[in-house]
Amino acid sequence: MEKSKSLLLLLFTLLFSVMLAACSDDSDSSSSSEGNGNDSSSETESDGGEASGDSEEPYEISIMTNAYTPEPPTPESPAWQAIEDFTNTELDITYVPSSNYDERFNITLASGDLPSMILTNKTSSFINAVNDGAFWDLTDYLDDYENLSQMNDIVKNNISIDGKIYGLYRARPLGRMAVSIRQDWLDNLGMETPTTTEEFYDVMYAFTHDDPDGNGQDDTLGTIVSEYPGPWDIMQTWFGVPNKWGENEDGTLYPYFQDPAYKEALDYFKRMYDDGLVNDDFAVMDPAKWHDAYVNGEAGTVVDVADAASRNRDKMVEADPSLEGSVDVFGAVEGPNGLHHLPTSGYNMMYAISTTAVETEEELHKVLQFMDDMNTEEGQKLGYNGVEGTHYEMKDGEFVPTTDQALIYEYEDLNQLLMFVPEDRYLTEPVDDLTKKEEEVLAENEEIVVGNPAEPLVSEVYSRQGQQLDNIILDARVQYIVGQIDEAGLEEAEQLWMNSGGKEYIEEINQLYQESQ
Amino acid sequence: MAQMSMKSKKVKNEAVVSTTQLTKMQQLLRDKWLYFLLIPGALYFILFKYLPMWGVLIAFQDYSPFRGFWESEWVGAEHFLNFFQNPDFFRLLRNTLILALYDLVFFFPAPIIVALLLNELRRQYFKRTIQTLVYVPHFMSWVIIASITYIFLTTSGGAINAAVEFFTGEKINFLSNPDYFRPMIIAQVIWKETGWGTVIFLAALASVSAEQYEAAIMDGAGRFRRMWHVTLPALRSTIVILLILRLGNFLDQGFQQIFLMTNSLNRSVADVFDTYVYFVGITQGMFSYSTAVGLFKAIVGIILIYGADYLAKKMGQTGLF
Amino acid sequence: MHKMHNTSMGRVFDVFNHISLLLLGLSTFIPFVYVIAASFATEAEIAARPFFLVPETITLAAYEYIFSTNTFIRSIGVSVLVTVLGTVVSLLLTMTMAYPLSRHHLLGRNLILNLVVFTMVFNGGMIPTYMVVRSLGLLDSLWALILPVAINPFYLIIVKSFFQNLPTELEEAARIDGCSDMGVFWRIVIPLSKPVIATFTLFYAVFYWNDFFNALLYISDNAKWPVQLLLQQLMMVANVDFGEMDVMLQDPPEESLKMAVVVVATIPILIFYPFLQKHFAKGILLGSVKG
Repeated sequence: MEKSKSLLLLLFTLLFSVMLAACSDDSDSSSSSEGNGNDSSSETESDGGEASGDSEEPYEISIMTNAYTPEPPTPESPAWQAIEDFTNTELDITYVPSSNYDERFNITLASGDLPSMILTNKTSSFINAVNDGAFWDLTDYLDDYENLSQMNDIVKNNISIDGKIYGLYRARPLGRMAVSIRQDWLDNLGMETPTTTEEFYDVMYAFTHDDPDGNGQDDTLGTIVSEYPGPWDIMQTWFGVPNKWGENEDGTLYPYFQDPAYKEALDYFKRMYDDGLVNDDFAVMDPAKWHDAYVNGEAGTVVDVADAASRNRDKMVEADPSLEGSVDVFGAVEGPNGLHHLPTSGYNMMYAISTTAVETEEELHKVLQFMDDMNTEEGQKLGYNGVEGTHYEMKDGEFVPTTDQALIYEYEDLNQLLMFVPEDRYLTEPVDDLTKKEEEVLAENEEIVVGNPAEPLVSEVYSRQGQQLDNIILDARVQYIVGQIDEAGLEEAEQLWMNSGGKEYIEEINQLYQESQ
Repeated sequence: MAQMSMKSKKVKNEAVVSTTQLTKMQQLLRDKWLYFLLIPGALYFILFKYLPMWGVLIAFQDYSPFRGFWESEWVGAEHFLNFFQNPDFFRLLRNTLILALYDLVFFFPAPIIVALLLNELRRQYFKRTIQTLVYVPHFMSWVIIASITYIFLTTSGGAINAAVEFFTGEKINFLSNPDYFRPMIIAQVIWKETGWGTVIFLAALASVSAEQYEAAIMDGAGRFRRMWHVTLPALRSTIVILLILRLGNFLDQGFQQIFLMTNSLNRSVADVFDTYVYFVGITQGMFSYSTAVGLFKAIVGIILIYGADYLAKKMGQTGLF
Repeated sequence: MHKMHNTSMGRVFDVFNHISLLLLGLSTFIPFVYVIAASFATEAEIAARPFFLVPETITLAAYEYIFSTNTFIRSIGVSVLVTVLGTVVSLLLTMTMAYPLSRHHLLGRNLILNLVVFTMVFNGGMIPTYMVVRSLGLLDSLWALILPVAINPFYLIIVKSFFQNLPTELEEAARIDGCSDMGVFWRIVIPLSKPVIATFTLFYAVFYWNDFFNALLYISDNAKWPVQLLLQQLMMVANVDFGEMDVMLQDPPEESLKMAVVVVATIPILIFYPFLQKHFAKGILLGSVKG
């Protein structure tokens, strides 16, 4: 009993002291609340002064970024230190689990003490902060840097806000979408890799009905699709459907589903479904199990991303080594209106530079220089491969990474710092034929991408109602494919879209688009 | 009987008299130790619940986190109007209300029934084993449950659908037919949370003494009458409190569960406030708007809680306070 | 005659009861067996067989990966520490606050109860709460995972009503013996509340164990990440944000690895239950009232 009493007392004093601390902290922050972050700015100023006085002094950069691994690197990591030495900086990196990055981002924004660089999406909270002057406008600075000046124009357009650049994007392949296909099934049936939408249809038809695996049973499918709508989006682009927004001859924008090609694509999908070329439960299929049917030899194609081909191949070979060489990949097939490819946005989030933590142009230069340095071959190798001799070896000129998980963790998440601009310069293990083919497909795709003219525009209506608007059209597409609604139903859905804020959305986008021209 | 109640009334009156005889100061002094015990808890509520409560005001602002609370623009009820005028508002409201009702009618009694059944088991090891088993799903994440649901219900080789086909000759599109969406959601909740929900009722049942049962047996009460007259009354106040408190979160549905079970073919019945707020508030970062929606839900909750508490007291239950 | 009818009815009921509870128990447990089985299976098997309770080829690869570094062990350590500490703090705060509120004669009691219930429905939201935690200097401290959620108002109300239902005879006796309110609370009420304590130990412990969101907001130092945060990361990355995952840099986590982390993160709290179970299975008031 005495024990519990003293415990209570302990708790009590603890709570009380916390309360007192709260009060003193509060008064502190209120006294300096005028210029938010007064303290930190004066500190960084003096730091900056030292750095400019003595160029040997490393510059301190704080960064908030994503973590994908359970164990992001720490300042003790040799790779981390090597980057600091290479760029003459002192890094303070906060890693946030990627699963819930958005929440943490918004909190950090609200708390007022932003790091020098923060990883962000183009969300409305970021755009508001940009409008309030929270981040540097980098448009006029980029040309001074060897690598940053080579940012891709399409992607630059995508990340821009009112025509200005507020972030350093992390490049990802624009032409990443591709089709994995069973080469051995094609061979069995004496068919060639399809090059047009109709040829692709014939291949899927034969994969479904002509026993491509030769087991004498009717147990195969042309392609496999899950609840995730990506494959339909990719395929409809082949038919010439615009990417989100199409442009009329008079320069106005219209939503993609009003394009005549959209109907063509939907009828093709419906035919696929009616002929049984696609799994009939695609509308409800668990996306996590999507590729399983392909890996198991139930489906002959899967319309997804290029890098899925080798990932699936690895799993297939693990189960049955004789399947080595049975997978091929291609980017797009030609539709009735030419060869088109649905691009990604070309980036995965970007780093914005805070105006409160990085106060002067001189400091901005140091941050930009750091990011530029990280794009050099040396920088990319340190960020992506780690330190030679510790994290990898070069044996007869070939790159051999470590297999020790603890060592891998020491550098793995440092790759979140990399922009890969203008190109990938890190080391890779010798690639096999399929991986080489994947890379070729990426490059080919980039030639035929269909841009979204409204990508840089930020719509208020969409922020509020976007998901509902998108769902109306996506749901109608699925319902049309499975035969729940007919053409009249599609038109009803379009009407519903218009009345649910779509009309305002079109007007808003067009207005923004005119302004940006 | 009448005498008894007379007596208790008299006792009550005496108590009232003795309280009113003391001045407020004397009462405070008398209960000084009670107030002392209250302090740590009160501190907690002040610090972590009431101090941050100014946050609800951003529902009336165009809150920009970077600009901060004081610098953000006040817009009055604009966000509420936007929300109510949202063409989907009534669909969201209907779906949310129906699911909440289903939850109340079908899920809420489930743990009580299971607790009653468990209470009837006499073999302790069997009882404990079952208790432990039914409580396992509480620890499974919705992602796994959704995935297992798909495995069992899919029309292409799902075990349950295979059984349905065997008996009726037809498959049922549980996952895509909107008619099955609500039963499926409630069934998942029942499966996941019933065992966990029984814990509190079993704890309440532990206070029923063996004597009460013995007395009932002496009176010749059978199994079911004992359940009805002894066991259930012991749970009554717990049930009432849980019911009232549940109403406070009436409009909350698990975002993750609904999100994972929704697809293009059943969305017409699946969209609820929580899935909507997730997109607007978290993905798009529209704080003021999502706070306004949250405030609306909270007001509904407050009305329901106090309404239910009032009703409970009217009906002679103790209620919350 | 009456009695015989009853017993035969009772027997039918017993059989029915045993069978239905057994089925219920199996239905809730078998999916977990699948999770365990999948954690020992190869990726190829998980892709090929929709559901199984025993894998054809047993592999320890997922567990080897988990235990190849001390990351997961350390995060479990963090979770255990937060759970134990948090449960103690929460129980103390909840009990000490619930007791005075269970006394009808306490001045201001209704006001306080109303204020408590109000917080169950109304809250300031993520940002202002974060500001408070930050100004208390709790960021990056494990206390940030405990203090902001120390009292669950829901539990407080239930504990309060438990206290209300305690028999008054013992308290009155103690008061006649000269005990103050403090004495009554520690010497009479607390010892009588063992089943309540056991129940809410379980509730709070499970809450602290399962919580990842506060860690996400308040903890930057990844050495202090609890195991649920790692689990959440593994489960969500490939699902909710489907198609958005940064696959070019990181392969999606393997299915068997996800399952193994579920097992590792769930077993410690699962085995906790049977230990508490016997406490709330005990008849409580009986002995002490008589004695």
